[in-house]
Amino acid sequence: MKPMAHILVIEDEPQMQRALRTILSAHNYRVSIASSGEEGLALAAAEKPDTIILDLGLPDMDGVEVCIQLRQWTQIPIIILSVRSDEGDKIKALDQGADDYLVKPFGTGELLARLRVAQRHLAKSQGEPDTVIVSGDLTIDLTRYIVTRAGNEVKLTATEYRLLAYLASHANRVLTHPHILENVWGPEYRDDVEYLRVFMSQLRKKLEAHPKKPVHILSEPGIGYRFITDA
Amino acid sequence: MRPFTIPDVSRQFRFLKHQLFVFGLAMVPVSLMTAALFLLRDSLNTSTVALLFLIPVMISTSLWGLFSGVFSAFAAFLAYNYFFLQPYYTFNVHDSQDIITLLIFLAVAVFNSQLVGRVRSGLAAAVARERETTLLYELSLDLAGAGSPAEIAAVLARKTADTAQATNLEVSIGPIYGDPSFQLSIPENTPPDVTPHVVIPLETVRASVGQIRVWLQVPPLTPGQERLLRAFAAQGTLALERMALAHTETRAQVLEESDRLKSALLSSVTHELRTPLATIKASTTSLISDEIPWETPARHDLLSVIDEETDYLNYLVGNLLDMSRIEAGALKPKRHWNILSEIIDGVLVRLHRILSGFTVDIHIPDDLPVVPVDYSQMEQVFINLLTNSAKYAPQGSTIRLEANLQDENTALVSVKNEGPQVNPDNLDRIFDKFYRITEPEKVSGTGLGLSICKGIVEAHGGRIWAENVPGGLAFRFTIPLRLDGNSPPQIEAEDL
Repeated sequence: MKPMAHILVIEDEPQMQRALRTILSAHNYRVSIASSGEEGLALAAAEKPDTIILDLGLPDMDGVEVCIQLRQWTQIPIIILSVRSDEGDKIKALDQGADDYLVKPFGTGELLARLRVAQRHLAKSQGEPDTVIVSGDLTIDLTRYIVTRAGNEVKLTATEYRLLAYLASHANRVLTHPHILENVWGPEYRDDVEYLRVFMSQLRKKLEAHPKKPVHILSEPGIGYRFITDA
Repeated sequence: MRPFTIPDVSRQFRFLKHQLFVFGLAMVPVSLMTAALFLLRDSLNTSTVALLFLIPVMISTSLWGLFSGVFSAFAAFLAYNYFFLQPYYTFNVHDSQDIITLLIFLAVAVFNSQLVGRVRSGLAAAVARERETTLLYELSLDLAGAGSPAEIAAVLARKTADTAQATNLEVSIGPIYGDPSFQLSIPENTPPDVTPHVVIPLETVRASVGQIRVWLQVPPLTPGQERLLRAFAAQGTLALERMALAHTETRAQVLEESDRLKSALLSSVTHELRTPLATIKASTTSLISDEIPWETPARHDLLSVIDEETDYLNYLVGNLLDMSRIEAGALKPKRHWNILSEIIDGVLVRLHRILSGFTVDIHIPDDLPVVPVDYSQMEQVFINLLTNSAKYAPQGSTIRLEANLQDENTALVSVKNEGPQVNPDNLDRIFDKFYRITEPEKVSGTGLGLSICKGIVEAHGGRIWAENVPGGLAFRFTIPLRLDGNSPPQIEAEDL
């Protein structure tokens, strides 16, 4: 059996601490809990956890600030917990290096899925990146620039391919609109969400069996997109 | 104080001329009477003549006043003495009775003049009072039409200036009743740098609210004018007070209304929050209890109930949060160019459970331009409209979603359901907070969904309304297609 992954929860609500401790322990995770930003930063440095779950609403400091300070010295995956109303903060935290987010209230299933993605991502970032990415009937060969769907090659324009390749090489992570625009179109397009919307719509028509109910590229309303690969 | 003035010689001369003219006039009735009586001298005795001579005395007194009366009394006595008393044609007075006749003539003149004078001054007073009443009536009419302290001041200034024949006038009011203090001068320059002739305070029972300063053409004011001006000021103050009361009452009404809304919210919210909480509590306590070893399907049922109810609670809290943001004016849409059908597709996926019993028809042309909206807020609009449709329309019916260009600058979206129609009088009201067509007990929800839609659509610069359509109800709203003055960008398709 592989060693238990260690999770640091930075969250100030006692009941949430209690629930997370119980749930995560039951799923064979080792859990440390910090009730403030300061304590969280100290514990992260002392215990070197495998993943950090960070609540954005902390009593002593801004969750985004905690994220920034962590990213100055570590690439430990960070999953953000937040409430629905602060899309702006979520985008800021994701842009500052957080890997994923969960909106309170969330289901245990979602939480565990995010944790698994974070673990895989950590494992991959330490090894060789994948060159062939598979999502259902979709295969993207990043070295040969070939996209096939159910064995048939899909013809993509240059920008469509760049967009898909960028999403696929960061598979299962949520990528914010500004982030995608910067990396696919260039820094000056950071706020031009319409490009992303239009190209994403075209891309989905080519890749998805039901473009209205996408399964490969999911929308994260108000935040960004997520490319889903097979587990 | 009346200043001392040098007597005006020409004025005195004119007065003298006037008196001489009056004396001349007074001679006319006396002469006529003398002539008439002289002709009848033989058939009249002296006491009758004396009585008849009272007539010209009374005429002169009544028409031309005391002086001419006295003058004609003397003239009548002399004529009586000369022509009618023995010996004729002498002014000799033989009898003390004749002196009495003279005294009676004089007394008649004096009394008569006083009587006439009293009637005259009574008439003059009545006329003056009528004028005052008319002026006051006009003032109160004008004041009734005045809606602000400034308008009241303008009315007061105009009337006061007319009545007092002021050269300059200044009304200052306030600061009162939340309106800033201000001054109004007639004519429209600054008032003269000298002490005003009259200062009339504007005073309520409690405090002074201002004053009217008047500079006169011909100082001082007559008592009548002064009385009138004070009455004007009193009317003006009353008008100001009435307005202040109206202000206070409106504020009290607004407060009361907001109190009423708050308690409606509280009762609605407690009812709505408690229902899912009760279900959750019942399910969890059952599961915790050791009394019954729950079979797996039953356990799963209870847990699904809890799961669904927590989602519903979350939706309710979200609605309350949105509403409070709309109320606080904190709903600032982050508008970007978005594809409407992408928003709708996402909503349909999220609402699949609620919409499972309905057919959802979507008609959005492929060439509909991108729309400048806040993605999450627009999602909320569709979620609320669709949830509302699902709540009222019968299971198995069709919900039709359409979007079109109304004109080149506006998109028109409509959500049609086959639910009950709404009384045309209430079509506007369904977007009010807590308004429900049906009894609150029969349908769940906070009664906030549509008013949130309204708040969001209006924050986007659009308009939302409901229409009865054949076989159902349609919600329609517009989205202006301009973002920072730009029309929707055309993004060119790329070649392969």
